[in-house]
Amino acid sequence: MKAKLNPAYLSAYAIVLGGAVIMLMPFWFMFVFATHSDTDILSVPPPMWFGDAFLDNMRLLLGRLPYFWHNLGMSFYVAIATTVLNLFFCSLAGYAFAMFEFKYKEYLFAGVLSTMLLPAFLGMIPSVLIMTGLGWMNEPRALIVPAACGAMGVFMMRQFIGSAIPKELLEAARIDGCGEFGIYWRIVVPLITPAFGTLGLITFIGAWNNFMGPLVIMNDMQMYTVPLALRSLSGTGQVPWGAISAGSAVAVLPLLVLFVITSRRLIEGLTAGAVKA
Amino acid sequence: MAHLSLRNLSKRYDNNPPVIENLNLDIHDGEFMVFVGPSGCGKSTLMRMIAGLEEISAGELHIGGELANDTPPAERGVAMVFQSYALYPHMTVGENMGFALKLAGKSKQEVAQAVGRAAEILQISHLLERKPKALSGGQRQRVAIGRAIVRKPKVFLFDEPLSNLDASLRVQMRIELSKLHKELGTTMIYVTHDQVEAMTLGDRIAVFNQGRMEQLGAPLELYERPANQFVAGFLGSPKMNFVPCQLKDASSSEITLSVAGDNRLVLPSSHTIAARGDITLGVRPEHLHIVPLEQGFRARVDLLEHLGDAEIVYLELAGSEQPIAIKLPSGGHGLKQGDLVGLRPDAARAVLFGKQGQAIRLQ
Ligand SMILES: Nc1ncnc2c1ncn2[C@@H]1O[C@H](COP(=O)(O)OP(=O)(O)O)[C@@H](O)[C@H]1O
Ligand SMILES: [Mg+2]
Repeated sequence: MKAKLNPAYLSAYAIVLGGAVIMLMPFWFMFVFATHSDTDILSVPPPMWFGDAFLDNMRLLLGRLPYFWHNLGMSFYVAIATTVLNLFFCSLAGYAFAMFEFKYKEYLFAGVLSTMLLPAFLGMIPSVLIMTGLGWMNEPRALIVPAACGAMGVFMMRQFIGSAIPKELLEAARIDGCGEFGIYWRIVVPLITPAFGTLGLITFIGAWNNFMGPLVIMNDMQMYTVPLALRSLSGTGQVPWGAISAGSAVAVLPLLVLFVITSRRLIEGLTAGAVKA
Repeated sequence: MAHLSLRNLSKRYDNNPPVIENLNLDIHDGEFMVFVGPSGCGKSTLMRMIAGLEEISAGELHIGGELANDTPPAERGVAMVFQSYALYPHMTVGENMGFALKLAGKSKQEVAQAVGRAAEILQISHLLERKPKALSGGQRQRVAIGRAIVRKPKVFLFDEPLSNLDASLRVQMRIELSKLHKELGTTMIYVTHDQVEAMTLGDRIAVFNQGRMEQLGAPLELYERPANQFVAGFLGSPKMNFVPCQLKDASSSEITLSVAGDNRLVLPSSHTIAARGDITLGVRPEHLHIVPLEQGFRARVDLLEHLGDAEIVYLELAGSEQPIAIKLPSGGHGLKQGDLVGLRPDAARAVLFGKQGQAIRLQ
């Protein structure tokens, strides 16, 4: 097929291309700056292509942030735990809301959704108070447990399960001898893997990039997650841009890998229910 | 194998009128029982109560002599075939069929054996490795039946299992189900809204209407001796004709009807009929004969339908909205549109229906 070369078509392409460049530019500069020294970065014009200072930057970073690898591990731990718990609890709740009839179901569901209306900042002080009360301050579980089941995930799972799984399937399993948890585990879970991919990715990215949560919960440098650790570099004295860029590049890498792995699933999940297979 | 007994069974959702009301029914061991009725009359609900998928609001359900009201579905010894087949999409045909046995803790070998046997009966052995989405409608249907067979249930439940198949496949599967029943000898309960399926499959038929059982009996018994107008109208195609009449007079040997105002019709009867006034004469298309004008009631030919082996003639009766249908052997009657003819029912096969729809037989 040959693309039509009329002006409207070309200008549409130009606009989309321009948008893509603007959105990708920060990414590009992050990777480029990660390989240049601070003096190079601050020169005019700034470097546009990769240099050879990446290892120096990393050394600098590890000097300023002795716990960087530990911070990275903390990020992984919090993000993975949050994701796994979200997949489990959101799908369980979504399954119940989609498939069971119980009293006050509509009100309960409205209650769940209404938690999405509250800005996250509003919860900061209460959650610090609660975590202090529990003695969980400065511990990863203070980040993981409150985020273990998000309203968005419950909503998504309810929609997906309601559209993808006919009730008769569950009844057939019930007659075949499945218990209620068995039905969830053996029938529902295998059939909602596309939604798991989508929700998993969204949750992982959210937890990985979470800044406010760790900021109020974590006190020791050792317990910081990566965004918090990197941010702490720009607080005092001269800002080590090269080191920050190198750390950011390292922090973004897992997300890129995850996205490449799950992007097909993600798109399936986002369009699921539009067309019944 | 088991017999079922339903005692004063009722089902009610919240405060709505009952979907099933005070049902009493015995289903014999090894019987093929058909529940038939129009859509929404509660057949599926009743079947789902038997399966344990719906709670029983009141009354008792006994399966094989044991009270089963609160027995979980898997322990009732029932297997169900759903209209949508409800095959597990992520499992192969073999896994679908063996799922119940696997859950029951049977060894891999036992499961494979049982699945293999059932697959042979249904001629789907070559499909065992496939996923349901790679099967045709007819094959999915077989797998669904196979999944039921593998469990060796005491009772098979079928909820409109053939209604998603095309017409020719439906006839074929109907025959196979009949054979399967003979082969297995297991109690089967079959829900359908299709009276042909009911007539051809059932040892006995229970006709439902709005949550009540209107009549229970063998197919021909219901066809020939319907208990009321609903049953009479539901079974048979084309439908039984209902002719509005007035019952003028009745002796111990004959009755006098006035059909559509001025048509006098005298029919022999074997007993004195007490009813008087407005009444409905019910007669099936094949039991209505063309006679000289003065011997029957008059109607005008409206439409002829050629079926090949037979012809359906639709006639208009003055004063009645409903056309009258008669079934004649093909050709040779010389009728054409607009002809005025006399019609006379076969008195031995005609039925009167009183105001409440109850059947009153002439003989
Ligand atoms: N969960 C429910 N809540 C309220 N009414 C219901 C429910 N399920 C079924 N019904 C009603 O029960 C009646 C019988 O339904 P059903 O047994 O499916 O009919 P059939 O199978 O004979 O077509 C219908 O009128 C339907 O509206
Ligand atoms: Mg139904």
